[in-house]
Amino acid sequence: MRYRPLASNNQEKIDSLAIFLYVVLLLIGFVSIASATSDVNQAFYDLSDVAIKQLVFIVGAILIIFTIVFSNVVVIDYFAYGFYAVAITLNILVLFLGREISGAKSWFGFGGFGIQPSEFAKVATAIALSKFLGTYGVRFQGWKNIATALGIFLLPMAIILIQNDTGSALVFLSFFLVLYREGLPGYILMSAVWLGILAIFRIISEATGVSSFYGYGFLLGIGSIVVFFVRKDRGIAILVTTIAVVSSLFYTIVGTFYLKILQQYQRDRIELVLGLKEDDRGLGFNLKQSKIAIGAGELWGRGYLKGTQTKMGFVPEQHTDFIFDAIGEEWGFVGSTLFLLIFCGLLVRLVIIAERQSTVFGRVLGYSLASVLFFHMSINIGMTMGLVPTIGIPLPFISAGGSSLWAFTLFLFTFLRVDQVRK
Amino acid sequence: MDKNKSKQLVFLGLIFFIFVVYTLRLASLQLGDVPYKKMAINNALNKITLYPSRSNVFDRKGKLMVYSTQMYDLSVFPFEITKLDTGLLCSILELDIQTVRGLIADARVRAKKRQKNNSFNNSALFYANLSNKQFTLLRENIYRLDGFFIESRTDRQFATATLSHALGYLGEADEELIAADNYYQPGDLVGITGLERFYEKQIRGIKGVKTVWQDRTYTERGVVKDTQFNYPATAGPDVISSLDFVLQEYGRSLLNGKKGSIVAIEPSTGEVLAFINNPDYDPNTMVGRDRANTFKTLLRDPQKPLYNRAVKGVYPPGSTFKTVMALIAMQEGVLTPETTHGCGGGYRLGSIRVGCHPHGGPLDLRGSIRISCNSYYCQVFRDIIDNPKYGDVKLGYAALEKHLRSFGLGSPLDIDLLGESRGNIPSVSQLDRRHGDRWKSSTIISLSIGQGEILLTPLQMCNTAAIIANRGWYYSPHLVKRIEGFKDTAWDRKYKIKKFTSVSPQYFQYVIDGMSEVTKPGGTANGTGIEGIEICAKTGTAQNPHGKDHSIYIAFAPKDNPKIAIAVLVENGGYGATWAAPIANLMIEKYLQGKPESSKPEMEERIKTSVIQ
Ligand SMILES: [Zn+2]
Repeated sequence: MRYRPLASNNQEKIDSLAIFLYVVLLLIGFVSIASATSDVNQAFYDLSDVAIKQLVFIVGAILIIFTIVFSNVVVIDYFAYGFYAVAITLNILVLFLGREISGAKSWFGFGGFGIQPSEFAKVATAIALSKFLGTYGVRFQGWKNIATALGIFLLPMAIILIQNDTGSALVFLSFFLVLYREGLPGYILMSAVWLGILAIFRIISEATGVSSFYGYGFLLGIGSIVVFFVRKDRGIAILVTTIAVVSSLFYTIVGTFYLKILQQYQRDRIELVLGLKEDDRGLGFNLKQSKIAIGAGELWGRGYLKGTQTKMGFVPEQHTDFIFDAIGEEWGFVGSTLFLLIFCGLLVRLVIIAERQSTVFGRVLGYSLASVLFFHMSINIGMTMGLVPTIGIPLPFISAGGSSLWAFTLFLFTFLRVDQVRK
Repeated sequence: MDKNKSKQLVFLGLIFFIFVVYTLRLASLQLGDVPYKKMAINNALNKITLYPSRSNVFDRKGKLMVYSTQMYDLSVFPFEITKLDTGLLCSILELDIQTVRGLIADARVRAKKRQKNNSFNNSALFYANLSNKQFTLLRENIYRLDGFFIESRTDRQFATATLSHALGYLGEADEELIAADNYYQPGDLVGITGLERFYEKQIRGIKGVKTVWQDRTYTERGVVKDTQFNYPATAGPDVISSLDFVLQEYGRSLLNGKKGSIVAIEPSTGEVLAFINNPDYDPNTMVGRDRANTFKTLLRDPQKPLYNRAVKGVYPPGSTFKTVMALIAMQEGVLTPETTHGCGGGYRLGSIRVGCHPHGGPLDLRGSIRISCNSYYCQVFRDIIDNPKYGDVKLGYAALEKHLRSFGLGSPLDIDLLGESRGNIPSVSQLDRRHGDRWKSSTIISLSIGQGEILLTPLQMCNTAAIIANRGWYYSPHLVKRIEGFKDTAWDRKYKIKKFTSVSPQYFQYVIDGMSEVTKPGGTANGTGIEGIEICAKTGTAQNPHGKDHSIYIAFAPKDNPKIAIAVLVENGGYGATWAAPIANLMIEKYLQGKPESSKPEMEERIKTSVIQ
């Protein structure tokens, strides 16, 4: 594919299906926030402070949309690294000037409002990565290029880790999916999955007190047997041996990391999700209440404004990270499945749009958006249902809060704007 | 581009995969078996129990005898105790630190149990029945005791100390009761004895519920509008007792210094007018904080103040039983009012001798009752059971036993109290066991004068008097006249249906004629009568193998259209005429004439001030 800079001529119509799904999600979000933060016996129009604030954020988002739609798309291309530099700078500055909220120093405060630069780092990183991979002559091979591409998203990830906002930092792992699309060999991702499985096994055996001997025995035993049978083919034998040895090494590292480096509360959190621990009052309380909220919805839901689990604060962060509970409780299985369908529909639409890009820039940007949204959605909803450890990241377009909404709106419409000039 | 196409498919597959997994997870949560909805409701709804007042209890004339007062408990959310000022709690409740820790541990166990039932509201009773001082201190300091709160409920107050055995006392519902009846919660008060127990379901009233929304911090967030979740407590309905407060008080004062019982019944209704035991206890000491301690003390008291001898104590009826023997003999056709028997200071039959006190020549039926001749009734007794028409002493005795049982003897009278004794009317087989198979009328001759195996409760003695007063029938005695708004056919069947004896009404007059002379010159209770009241009575003395004989007296008055039947038993009082007769007659006077002053002040004074060890 030939490198072509973005041009502002030859405009298509902006993708209306994506916008439609965006608007629907925004409405669902607002309606859910209004419910989750209202008091009992309170009418819908009697909006809570949080809901009014969210209305302001939505107005802000509309302003962002118009700004993007009416500005020249070339700006994005031209200032790609500039945005990135600004985002990195802001994320470093926040370490010194930021407000500390629940242990993470990731907020700039302005009176009652706060801005979280890490949210904007995602879109800036995506643009920078798109620019880099889209640059003429850059192919996703050669150590230097690979290192640069990795560096573009590992740098903000590292900074955000320092901010102690683990959830937001982990989001940057979704760029690996983009790299896979752009040529990162599949076996690397497969290896990552394999290592993930190994890690989970190690943690389970540590947490349940099973001797690590069985793990080593399994890895090296199976490895030896396979090597024995393929000993004629030196190449495969060496490969299997390498895998077995590396796996065992990794197994050791995970064990050490788990026991020596992780704090007790982190271990508790992991063990809770792996179902190795029952705890109804402490850490598990939030998880249990979240499951009760969703479960209470049953087939048709308890009805709008009638979700007591969310309203009464039994669910933690009921309007931000656990907003999905409000949907699950009030709209039931039918409503929450429909919601999943809408969200996944947007993701599928974004993948399709990304694939129709004629530029690498456009495609990388599209896949970045889809991957980041996918990561957010699956972690966030998985967390509320107890499938994923409690990692505090918002549900895009739904959770209350300005930074997330504005950053994702910016992300989405930048991409849709790029899509407009795809030919 | 194939490779790219497949990579796109990997993406779409990933999205699809998550969608499927999450939909399945949603299904397992929302369509599965775990009652999440119930758990959510239990979380957010706090049902606050509103305790009703127990019934007020009035006497038959409308005097309030028992009422409810407010009392307070300290409850706790044991898992919400973040920083407990144990010292403060200890000093307010005047407990040591070990006890307080123990109470917290108990509360945790109970709260955990509640939580097991999917209840988010896991509060538990911490300390019941706060004293006034504790309540005042706690109300001022409750904000310093995180997780603690005060709940109110009602307790009893008695207008008099004489109602202990009739009304009974309350206690905290035990675990067994709570398990059996989900109306009760730990700390609830429930009637343990007396009317409080018998009519518990009516007297307790109906608990109310106030349901409020509560958030995670247990803060009230408004009342739930649905009326189904909110209803006020309904106080127990007014209970109109059949007792006569004045008579009750008076009777208790007459029993001062003496062990015994007084039971009085209105014959025409079976309503109990007085129900008195001594020793008893002041029911006002069995309320509130001190209940448990008082109970322990009373339980250990060798005087047995908790013992309800009026329905639980059994005594040989002695000579009072001659009235019944005469009635049965007439019914059996072996005795007429004119039948005379001589008495030579006793009755002799072989080696058996039943003594009699000195009195003049052959007596007829009337005289035999007036004078209480033992020989006369030995003969009457033998005539009944040796009656040739039965041919066998056992068949003759069986006929007697049947008659006796028709007087409500040998089985409980079904008074509205629990634990009533049946007394004893020996059966043929019981006599066989006792005397061997080959007994004769002479073997069991002591039954003729109310000694031996025949045992009656004071209530049964009184009911016998009521039967004679009614000329042959009775209502099961009861302490409750009515409960407002309470209609129960089972209750009516028990207390509103006449029970007839197997003795025809026509025979009663002859016995009553004899009884009417007992308090007159020549009678066994001469000198104890009351001017202007025709008292029909019979004295008795119950042999007591453990000490001095018991003094017994049954009576009713007036002779025609009787208003009151009474039985008095004074333990170790000796002759019936000595203690029981004056007490009963004073009671009759008080009830029928209702004057503050007795016409026999010296007798009254002697009775009130005498002490029998
Ligand atoms: Zn005699």
